[in-house]
Amino acid sequence: MSSAAEARFRIQTPNPTSRVVKVISLDTASHHEIATLVDEVPTADLVVMVASAGADAHAAAIIGEACSLKHVMTTTLVIHAASATDEALSKTLAQVRPWSLMVVIASDEAYVEEILRSFR
Amino acid sequence: MLRKEQNDLLTQTGPETPMGRLFRSYWVPALLPEELPQNECPPVRVKLLSERLIAFRDTNGRYGLMDEFCAHRGISLWFGRNEECGLRCPYHGWKYDVTGQCVDMPSEPEDSGFAKKVKLKSYPLIERGGVLWTYMGPADSQPPVPEWEFATVPAAQSFTSKRLQESNWLQAMEGGIDSSHVSFLHRGDLNSDPLFKGARGNQYNLSDARPVFEVVESSGGLYIGARRNAENGHYYWRITQWVMPSFTMIAPRGDHSIHGHFWIPIDDENCWTWSFDYHPTRALTDAEVAAMRAGKGIHAKVIPGTFRAVANKDNDYLIDRAAQKAGRTYSGVEGFAMQDSSLQESMGPIVDRTKETLVSTDSGIILARQRLLRAVKAFVETGATPPGVDTVHQRVRSAAVVLPPDQPFKDGAREAMIAHPGVAPASV
Repeated sequence: MSSAAEARFRIQTPNPTSRVVKVISLDTASHHEIATLVDEVPTADLVVMVASAGADAHAAAIIGEACSLKHVMTTTLVIHAASATDEALSKTLAQVRPWSLMVVIASDEAYVEEILRSFR
Repeated sequence: MLRKEQNDLLTQTGPETPMGRLFRSYWVPALLPEELPQNECPPVRVKLLSERLIAFRDTNGRYGLMDEFCAHRGISLWFGRNEECGLRCPYHGWKYDVTGQCVDMPSEPEDSGFAKKVKLKSYPLIERGGVLWTYMGPADSQPPVPEWEFATVPAAQSFTSKRLQESNWLQAMEGGIDSSHVSFLHRGDLNSDPLFKGARGNQYNLSDARPVFEVVESSGGLYIGARRNAENGHYYWRITQWVMPSFTMIAPRGDHSIHGHFWIPIDDENCWTWSFDYHPTRALTDAEVAAMRAGKGIHAKVIPGTFRAVANKDNDYLIDRAAQKAGRTYSGVEGFAMQDSSLQESMGPIVDRTKETLVSTDSGIILARQRLLRAVKAFVETGATPPGVDTVHQRVRSAAVVLPPDQPFKDGAREAMIAHPGVAPASV
């Protein structure tokens, strides 16, 4: 049943894609944006936080706590890692790790778009 | 998910396809030496990257890998006579040496010189570390010989097997970097398989069934870290290496051997699953090798005389529903290798990635695809050497370590993830 010939008989109806993914940049988010996201957490299926290695990511705790209370999955994408020092990356990781169920450490931000596209 | 054109690009590896050209930048495993056990032994049919080839070992022990078919009338040289430093077509006697050069053409006048003008396409075939490797790219771009650690340790420290997998290479490889499936599919085997049991790290695995994952770019591909809670607020990390295009190395357990895979396309609907086990500092024991030959660990029991698993899709992988219900195996299929392969083959020969519903624990797979797409684009457009060709990218290890909570594993396990000859692996 796993042959190429049998594959023709698979149901072609697209899978449902109605999930809600919220994305926030921890580098630039204002207090208002963070508060808004926290309010929206109950309706989200996934919250994606984006942080530059070495940048202040303290907002991860606020968002992560809201997600934890509502059992919402969290992913953090740490970008610009290639140009950051180990200390700078370590500082950001210390802030995001307790609140992230998945962490991706990438060299550049072009990966963010591709990862988000894959979650659609 | 991938768009259809992206899926096609990554899964098609025939000659002149972009991914096929990328694969042809590397030395890839082609055969086990035992397939050509002695000089003038029977030739072996080989299909790699959608090319049908014939492998043979000549009178002087030289290995040859060339077009399967005689240049004269297209006869398969599998029927050939391996004699006097060449493979002779039994139809009209044309004979080829290990480079594919026709060296004898009895049907032509003896001094016509025509034989010198006939040469079959051929590829180098070298033995290194218990594997016969070939390079199928342009001769002027041939890279240095492989430096993967399992292929450089003394023979007694390493064991390699291969198995037919009836699926495209990419879905097989993606299974190797999909760390989140281990807590489900393989949960029944950690404490029973002789090549895994007894390690302290197993207890971390079993006591924390919800690992947190970190994916980090490496120069050759990716590090995929699975983090579980350990004592005193520390984290137990299992770090898998993925090196482009299709090498993976799984984190070790205790003093067991380290293991990993290559997935090499046969054609677009089949691949070879190569599985290696080695220990950097000691010989494998007789019991370990016996277990590997019996299909334990990451190896599979194959039908004698073939490389097809005994448990295969024609017998529903010998699924045992009672074992599934009782929890002895999670899926009902026995053994790590066929637990993976049964599910990957069930996707169909080439899975339709436009229909996936990926979640965040699939980020390693997503990033690997994007790195492959980038490497193909750079290679095709600018000729950039893809990651994994440089032997520095090959001298890597997986690792299992316990680290403080704020330490990046890339930093804390930096030395552990490099293959230092004679140095024990970082393992828990």
